[in-house]
Parts: sequence; C-alpha cells; structure tokens
Amino acid sequence: MVRKTLSARSPIKMMEKNISGGFGPGNLGVFASRKGVGKTACLVQIALDRLFEEKPVIHVSYASRVDYIISWYKEIFKNLATQQNLQSAMEVHDRIIRNRVIMNFRQEGMKTEQVTKSLEALLGPGNFRAKTIIVDGFNFYLPWAEDLALFKKFASEHQVEFWFSCSLKGEDPLFNEQGIPFILQDYLSSIDVIITLEHDNSHVKLNLVKDHDRISNKKLRLQLDPQTLLLAKI
Amino acid sequence: MNRAMERRRNIGISAHIDSGKTTLTERILYYCKKIHRIHEVKGKEGGGATMDYMELERERGITITSATTNVTWNDYSINIIDTPGHVDFTIEVERSLRVLDGAILVLCSVGGVQSQTLTVDKQLKRYRIPCLAFINKLDRIGANPFKVKDQINEKLGRRAALLQIPIGLEDKFQGVVDLVKMKALYFDGPNGEIVREEEIPAELEDKAWQSREELLDTVSLFSDELTAAVLEDRVTEELLLKAIRKGTISREFTPIFLGSAYRNKGVQPLLDSVVNFLPDPSEVENIALNLDQNEKKILLKANSNAPCVSYAFKLEDGPYGQLTYLRIYQGSIKKGDELFNTRSKQKFKVGRVVRMHADHMEDIEGAGTGDIIALFGVDCASGDTICSPGLNYAMTSIYVPEPVISLAIEPADKTSTDRLARALARFIKEDPTFRMYIDPESKQTIIQGMGELHLDVYIERMKREYRVEVTTGRPQVAYRETITTRADFDYTHKKQTGGAGQFGRVMGYIEPFEGTYEFINKVKGGHIPREFISSCDKGFQASLRKGQLIASPVIGLRVVLTDGQFHPVDSSDIAFQLAAQGAFKQTYKKARPQILEPIMKVVVESPSEFSGNVFGSLIQRRGIIVSSIEDGIYSRIEAEVPLSEMFGYSTVLRSMTQGKAEFTMEFLKYGKVPANVAEQLREEQRKKLEAEEKK
Repeated sequence: MVRKTLSARSPIKMMEKNISGGFGPGNLGVFASRKGVGKTACLVQIALDRLFEEKPVIHVSYASRVDYIISWYKEIFKNLATQQNLQSAMEVHDRIIRNRVIMNFRQEGMKTEQVTKSLEALLGPGNFRAKTIIVDGFNFYLPWAEDLALFKKFASEHQVEFWFSCSLKGEDPLFNEQGIPFILQDYLSSIDVIITLEHDNSHVKLNLVKDHDRISNKKLRLQLDPQTLLLAKI
Repeated sequence: MNRAMERRRNIGISAHIDSGKTTLTERILYYCKKIHRIHEVKGKEGGGATMDYMELERERGITITSATTNVTWNDYSINIIDTPGHVDFTIEVERSLRVLDGAILVLCSVGGVQSQTLTVDKQLKRYRIPCLAFINKLDRIGANPFKVKDQINEKLGRRAALLQIPIGLEDKFQGVVDLVKMKALYFDGPNGEIVREEEIPAELEDKAWQSREELLDTVSLFSDELTAAVLEDRVTEELLLKAIRKGTISREFTPIFLGSAYRNKGVQPLLDSVVNFLPDPSEVENIALNLDQNEKKILLKANSNAPCVSYAFKLEDGPYGQLTYLRIYQGSIKKGDELFNTRSKQKFKVGRVVRMHADHMEDIEGAGTGDIIALFGVDCASGDTICSPGLNYAMTSIYVPEPVISLAIEPADKTSTDRLARALARFIKEDPTFRMYIDPESKQTIIQGMGELHLDVYIERMKREYRVEVTTGRPQVAYRETITTRADFDYTHKKQTGGAGQFGRVMGYIEPFEGTYEFINKVKGGHIPREFISSCDKGFQASLRKGQLIASPVIGLRVVLTDGQFHPVDSSDIAFQLAAQGAFKQTYKKARPQILEPIMKVVVESPSEFSGNVFGSLIQRRGIIVSSIEDGIYSRIEAEVPLSEMFGYSTVLRSMTQGKAEFTMEFLKYGKVPANVAEQLREEQRKKLEAEEKK
C-alpha cells in the first residue's frame, strides 16, 4: 500500500506522461549533461520507481564500484522516505532492493556483445525478469559507442527499456541549435528520448530535447534539488 | 638480545584458495636452504609440498591446518606460518594473525582480488598487520599485474604501488625490474637460485621510469625527507627504502612484488622485502590485560629480560603428547623455567622446548621476546596466556565467529564410541569454531562448524586419525526466533503447597531489539527487591533458549521490567525466575514472533560463459543476486542465499561449470523465513513433539 502510494506520487510518472510517444519496453532513453549535475540521481530514481512497483531492475555500471552504487540507492531512498514520511523505511528499502541486480563492467576492452550476453544470461537462464535496465557511465566518446545500436536491438528483442547517462565533455558549445548534444547526433536513430539537465539558479532543470521522432526542446515541469538529489514537480 | 630481535620477523602468508601460497612457501624453504628439494603441491612425485604435512591436505590439494617453520635469510630469523585460504578454516587464519607481526598477501595475476582475498584483507586490518602483496603466477595466460594492482587499490581500499614491473608475461615471463635499484633481475640456475642483475631492457625503460615515478609519488606521502629529495632530484636507494618501510609498518602503504613461485622467479626479492619492510617484534605494540587490576591494559615490553608473557595459539596432539605453540610477547622461556597459566591458574615446569618446521622439530634451550616456539606436555587450551609466576595477564581473546551449521553424527560401529569421544575432545580443544554437544532430547551427538567443508574435513580426520567411521544426519541449520512487535506482560507466579510458598509478580513489556538481548530494569519504589531483579533477568534469559514456534533460541529481544509485587516470606530467587518465565510464555505469541534463518553471503567466481547457469542456480535457491562484476573473462557474482538451500551446492556448481567455478560462503545475517518454509518448520516441530509424547 505504502509502496503503491510512493509510486503514484513519483515525478518519474509525470516525466513519462510528458513524453508524447510514451516510454517503455523497446525504448532507449538518455540523460545528458556535464559531470556532477544529477544524471545518476535521475537514473536511480527511475530504478526506485520501478522497484516500488515490485518490478525488477538491472543496474549496469561502467564507472563505479558496486558499493558506491549501493550507497546511491540508500541515499536517495533515505531522502525520499524522509520527504514522504515513510514508516519502517529501512524495512521497505531492504524489501525492494531484492529486485535489483547490479552488473559492473570495465568498459575498456569490454565489448558490448559481452555485456548483452551477460544481460541475456541474467534475464534468460537466470530467470530475472527485469524490464528496466539502467546503464550508468557508458562512455559515448569512445569509438564503440556505435554499439548503442546493439543495445537498441536488445531492447526490442527482449522487450526491455534502457535508460543511459551521458557525461558531456569539452568546451562549450556542447549542444546544437536544437539542444541535442553534439556527441549524440550520430546515434539519434538508436535513441528514442533525450533529456538534458542544466543548472538554473539553485536547481537543475530537465529539458526533453528528443521525443521519439520529434526534436522538441521542451522544458519539463521537473527539477532536481541538488541538496536532496530528488526530482520534484515545478 | 635487542640485535636478535631486530633480526627477527614473524610473518604469515595469506590468500585466496590456490593463489600459490604453499608453492611460494616451498620455494622460500628451498632458497633458505631449509629443504634440498622442491616438491609440488598435489604431489606429482608422490610427495607433497613440505608445508602441507597432513595427509588429507596432500590428498585434497588444500592447506587445512596452519604449520609453522623457521628460516634464515641473510642472517635474519623468519618464522613463517602458512595458513589456509578457504573461509571454512578462518579460525586458523585468525589465530596466526594474532601472533604475527607482518604478512604476505598472495594474489593470482589472473584472478586478482577474489572473495577470500577480501576476507583475509579484512582480517589483516582487524589485527592491524602490515603487509606486502605478492602477485603470483605471472607465467599464466591472462596474467595482468597492473590490473591486480588497481584492484588492490580499489577493492581493498589500500594505498599500494608496484615496486617491480614484469619483464615479459605469460610464457614470456623472464624476470622483474626492481624500481628501487632500477635494475633488471633474472633468476638463473635449475631452480632459479641465482639472481642476476642487469641493465633494464631498452623497451621497458619508459615504463620503468613511469612506474618509479608513481611509486615515488605514493611513498613520498610518508616522508618529508623523500619529498624534498624528489623535488631536488636526489633520491637515494637508502632514503627510498626507509620511506617504504615507514609507510608499510604504519599500514598506510602496501608494496607490491611480482613473480611466479612455480617458475622459481621473484621469491628472493620478496624475502629481501620481508627483511626490509616488515616490522621486527620490537616495532609492534602488544597489549595485555591485567586480571588483578580489572583488566587494565598493559603495554608489554619487547625485552627478553622482563617477566614472561606468552600466548598459546595452537595445540596439536602428536605421538609424544600435546604440543603447544606459543608466541613470546615479553621476556623469554627456557627449559626448566616455572610458568603460570592465567586461565587455569596452574603452574607448570617447562620441559622440552622446540622450534617447529612443519612436522619436524628442533630442540632448543630457550627463546626470547618475539619468537614462536612449541612446548611439550603443557595442559592448556588454545587462547590461554602463559606468564611468569607473579603475573596475572590475559592477552585479548581472538575473535571467534559463531558456527552456522550442525550435523548429527553416530559411530557406525558401537565399539568406536571411545575413539570418537577422544577425536572430538581433541578437535574442540584445537579449534574454537568446531563445537560439539549432546542433544538433550534426541541424545544425538551434534557437531557444529563454519561450513560443510569444515565438518567434512573433521569427519575425514576422525576416520584417518582415530579409525572412526561415522554416519551423519542431514545438516541442520541454526534457526532462530524473534519478535516483531511490542507486547506487555503482567504475570503472577503463586504456589502454596502447605509449606513455604512461592510468590512473584512481574510487569513490563518485551519489544524488538537490534542486538541479541537486553534487560532493562525500571522498577521503582522497591516493588521488586533489588536482589530479585537479576532473578527476573535470569528467568527471561532461560526462556530465550527455546522459542515457542520451533523451539529455537530467541534473539533480538528487549525486556523492560516496569513494576511488580513481592511477598515478604514467599518471594525468592526461584519464584521470580519462574514468574519471568511465565510472563514470557504468556506474552511471546502476542509479540508476533517469526522464524529466522541464517542468510549467507555467497560469492561465486565463474567464467562468464557459465554466468547464466550460476544466476539461475542461485535464484532457484531463494537467493538474491546482489551484484555481478564482469571483466570479460570471469564473473564475480555476489548473492544472499539461505544456508538451508546451499547444501550440496559445490557439487551442483562443479557440474554446471565443468569444474571451472568456485564459491565461498560466509554468514551474513539472520533473515525472516518465507511463510511456506515457516509452516513446514512448524509442522516438523509438531510431529517431533507428537513423537516424543507417544514415547
């Protein structure tokens, strides 16, 4: 009951409603911004949203250690629980994370085929029925970022949704006139949704710049509080 | 004596299974001229590595008990303890760490930091032991010492740097470049006994200078002198060695060495590093507790002339009686000395004093501070402190983990009951994590341990060493019960049978508690006299031994006594104990008790091609996959699985991964059992009680 309430109030639901093509199995979305703005916080909240609905999640990480990822979830859950005045919070936390598996890969020298094979092993023989796969730390600046097409294909075949984080590097400008990050321009056919994050005074605003076939540059009525790392409706 | 202590090292060799510890020790014995021939582990020549002296160890290719040996390297006396890596034998590793001053952490250049590496690393940190890392097996396909160095830094959270870089890898591994001397080292002769120094190969110069810079960057954190020298480009070998030693002994730095013990490469520089970087006994602080002064902490003196304080860390039953291994922390021990066991309060006279080399003994007159020796015919238990008469000290007890699995055993042949009893008595004395009790209801002999392998090995030892075959029941899991909500009690125990009656009334509540048990007294106004408060506590504690669901011990409970009543004549210790027990019985079910089972942290390391099978096998066992770390070749899968589901898993894992995967398991926490399992357990308990009633 508590978990359903948390899920119903989730800003993630609002975000998905704003995506006119909807989001779900077969889709691939990307949160893009410079480092340290809040992409991982957004991804973790998407994962928690699914976990509150008792839907299994796979969290793939190229960048962080497993214990760091576990800390992210604990921290954001704690802030959410405080915000929502959740009773027996740690009990709820321990219950929901049973549906989360963390897979940690080193991207250098690690082929995407190997990653998808490992995902297949967990989904198939492992019988772990996740429909949401978070991918944090994938380096779009390496040559094999073209492998995004393989992830898109995997999403279709296995009816899962992928959410990626994309850390933007280098000097400004990082975005083209339509607000699409330059680094993602070559992969637009594989990406269904792009949301960029930008600082705006004391908060971080979210912009929907690609909504399936539409290049939209629409400001979502959502912001990220850099203190609590929580998304909230504006 | 001080010079003797400066030239003494007490070290252990710790690692994950099959990292090559025993092979390494064998090479050390050979280069220190302690043995004249190298034997391989698993006994290809019909022998076995010298340190694996137990027959069972030779057969299984694993090290079971720790053996000690003394070697001399460049005039330094080094006591080495070779310790097992498997988590089922953690008590052996714990014991040896308690008495050592330094350690070599052996890692495989392919496997890197593995599950048991993490356990031994935690143990080294718990006992504050400085250590060196040795990345072994550089001749293996897939060897990558640089990756392993990164793992040591990231996964073990250490500040480590390479003191060598490899010259070639895999089948091209030839030697190492020493980054302190900036020379290449090669190992010539039929057994690598001749260390040849040459100039660094041209193609490795850049890499060598780059790695040396990383080393200087890291080590200069511990030495202002070195920092200045680096800035002024006048770093000397002596200065660098001094800074590395300082960082290593303070445990802020871990130097990494490379080699292949099997190919006889890299061992001699490792021995030099033991001498150069690990502490001598006088550089390690040792504390004892003064039992005559309320366990006041006493800093022991590294002085062989001071009164003796020593610690019995290992017992062995041999053909000549019990052998007790001692570490001398203060003073000295020699033949004819009178000593005192501070636990048993018994004095005894020292007979033979020996120095051990695996299963060979060397008689000596005596030994001083920092040394490790063995005595014959001393009646003591593992963990006892032995002092000079007049001292009543105890060394801190070593941490002993609770057993998680028990097994009913019965001698196959009734005539071997005595031999079984002797075997059990010996094993219990040697190993505090191996326990035995007689079940008061079934009258069965139950043995308890840290895992299936732990108990398997003792059953095998009973057969070989005591000629006792046993039949075993199904392994039993140590279930527990707990409460989930607060419940009040108000209970009066009253008995009037003509003579003196009994009366006691207790009021209060029980509630969930994060620890095991807590009793809080809030009774005011003397409603329960002070002398009976502890009776109430005793009564509650007695009730905790058997919960009402499946007669398992109850944990996680706090009792708060708020009020009560007594009778000036009829109240007594026993009356209040019974009142407490009655209150517990009345209240327990109101507190919504539930059954708990041990949940194990299971780590499986498997080639990635089998990871799907491994995931499936764990999920089928009610396991929760926590994480999977993939490096393209291997997957390291961590899961939380109920112990009751893990029996026989090693066979299953072996068959689904062609024998290429391995797993470790250690107790993590107690978790709630699912409703269907709880119902099954309660049904079994009901049937058990019915059967007993019929008897």
